[in-house]
Amino acid sequence: MTLKKHVSDNKITIVIQDRFDFSIHQHFRDAYCDCNESGSEIIIDLSQTTYMDSSALGMILLLKDHVDKISGKMKIFKPNEAVNKILEIAQFHRLMTIEK
Amino acid sequence: MLTNEKVILVIGLVSSFLLAINLAVYNTIEFSWLICFIIISCFCLLFFRLNAQKNKKPKVSLIDENESDREILQTFTQVEKAIGQQTSIIEKEISRTKVIVKDAVEGISNSFKYLQQLNLEQQGMINIVINQAHATDEDDETILETFVDDSGKTLEKFVEVIINTSKQSLETMSYTDEMVSQFDGIFKLLEQVESLSSQTNLLALNAAIEAARAGDAGRGFAVVANEVRALSVNSTELNNDIRSKIAGAQITIKKLRDSVELMASADMTSTLQAKERVSVMMQHVQKMNQESHRVVEDLAGLSPKISEAVGLAVRSLQFEDLTYQSLDSLAFNFINLHQLADEISSFNIASHEELPEQLKQLQESCNTIIEKTKSVDDRRSVSQSSMDEGDIDLF
Repeated sequence: MTLKKHVSDNKITIVIQDRFDFSIHQHFRDAYCDCNESGSEIIIDLSQTTYMDSSALGMILLLKDHVDKISGKMKIFKPNEAVNKILEIAQFHRLMTIEK
Repeated sequence: MLTNEKVILVIGLVSSFLLAINLAVYNTIEFSWLICFIIISCFCLLFFRLNAQKNKKPKVSLIDENESDREILQTFTQVEKAIGQQTSIIEKEISRTKVIVKDAVEGISNSFKYLQQLNLEQQGMINIVINQAHATDEDDETILETFVDDSGKTLEKFVEVIINTSKQSLETMSYTDEMVSQFDGIFKLLEQVESLSSQTNLLALNAAIEAARAGDAGRGFAVVANEVRALSVNSTELNNDIRSKIAGAQITIKKLRDSVELMASADMTSTLQAKERVSVMMQHVQKMNQESHRVVEDLAGLSPKISEAVGLAVRSLQFEDLTYQSLDSLAFNFINLHQLADEISSFNIASHEELPEQLKQLQESCNTIIEKTKSVDDRRSVSQSSMDEGDIDLF
C-alpha cells in the first residue's frame, strides 16, 4: 500500500509514495469521502511521489470537486520536479495551491 | 700672293730702276716715257690682279659655308623627322587612349547602370517581403508563429481532455463501485429469498406428510402441498438463474473496470515532452522572426546606400569628359609642335637673301603659337575650375 493517511483536527494529510496511479484510486477516494465537515483542509503530500499519470490528475480534480462541495481547502505539498512539471502542464497551479 | 703678281711686281720694280738709271745717267726723255708707261701698266696690272684676288677669296669661303649649311639642313631635317616621329606616335597614343577610356567608361557605366537596375529589383523584393511581414503582423504575427501558438493551445486542450477523461473515468469507477456494492446487496437478498424458498419447501414437505397421515380427508391438501413444493423448487431454480446472471454482470463489470482504468491512466511523459518541444519551438520561431525582421530591415536600409554609391560612381564617370579635354589639349599642342617642325623643315638656309625674312616668319609663327596656346589654356583652366565649382549643380 503506497498511500498513508494522517488526520489531525479537521486536517487530513494524504501521503502518496512512489507511484500515484489508477491502482490506488479506491484508497484515495476512501481517504477523503468520509470527510464532510465544512472548513476541512486536505493536504496531498507528494514529496515521496516519483511518478504520476493522468488518473492521478483526475483523482486530484475529483478531490477538488469534493472540497469545493464541502467548502473546504486543499493544497498539494512538495511535488518533485518531474511531478511538478506534469501539474504545470495540467495548469493545476491555477486551480489550487501548490507548495514547493 | 701668286707668282704672276710677283713677276709683274719684279717687272715694275726693274722698270722703275731702269727709269731711275736712264734719268740719272742718260737723261733721255724718249725711253723714260716708255719705261714710265711700263711701270704704270705693271702697277695697274698688279692692282687689278690684287683686286681680282680679293674678289676671288670670298668665293673660296663660300664653298665652305655651303657645306656647313648642308650640315645644318641635314640636322634640321633629322630633328624634324625625330619630332615628327615622336608627335605622330604621341598622337596615335592619344587617340588610342581616347578609345580605351571611351570603351572602359562605357563598360563601367553600363555595368553600374545594370547594378542600379538590379538594386532596384532587390529593393522591390525586399519591399514585398517587408509588406508581407507587416501584413502578417496585422493578422496576429506570422503564420509560423500562429501555427506554433495553435500547436501549444491544441496541446493544452489535449491535456485538458486527458485529465477530464481521467476524471470522468474515475467518477464512472466510483459509480461502478457503488453498483458492485448494490449487487452484493442483491446477493444477500437472494440468499434470503433462497432460505425462504427452502423453508417453503420444507413446510410443503411437512404439509404433504401431514396430509398423507390424514388419509382420504387430507388428499386434496396433499395436492396443494405438492404444488407449493414444486413452486419452491421453481423459485430456487429462478434464484440460481438470477445469481448466475448477476455473476455474469460482475464479470462484465470487471472488464469495464479494466477498460476504464486504461482510459483513466494516460502516461503524461510524452505529453510533457511534446509540450516542452512546442515551447522550445515557440521561442525558436520568435527568435527567428525577430532576426529575419531585423535582417530584412537592415537590407532595406542597405539598398538606398547601394543606390547612392552606384549613383556616385556613375557621376564620377564624368571624369571621361575631363580626360577628353586634357587629351584634346594635348592633341592641340602636338599639332602646334607639328606645325613648328614643318616650319623648321621648310627653312631654306641656302638663300641668304630670304634668311632674315624666313627668320622673321618663324618668329611670328612661334609668337602666334604661343598666343594661341595661352588663350586656349586660359579658357580650359577657366572651364575646368568652373566645372569643379559647379560640382553640385552638375552632379
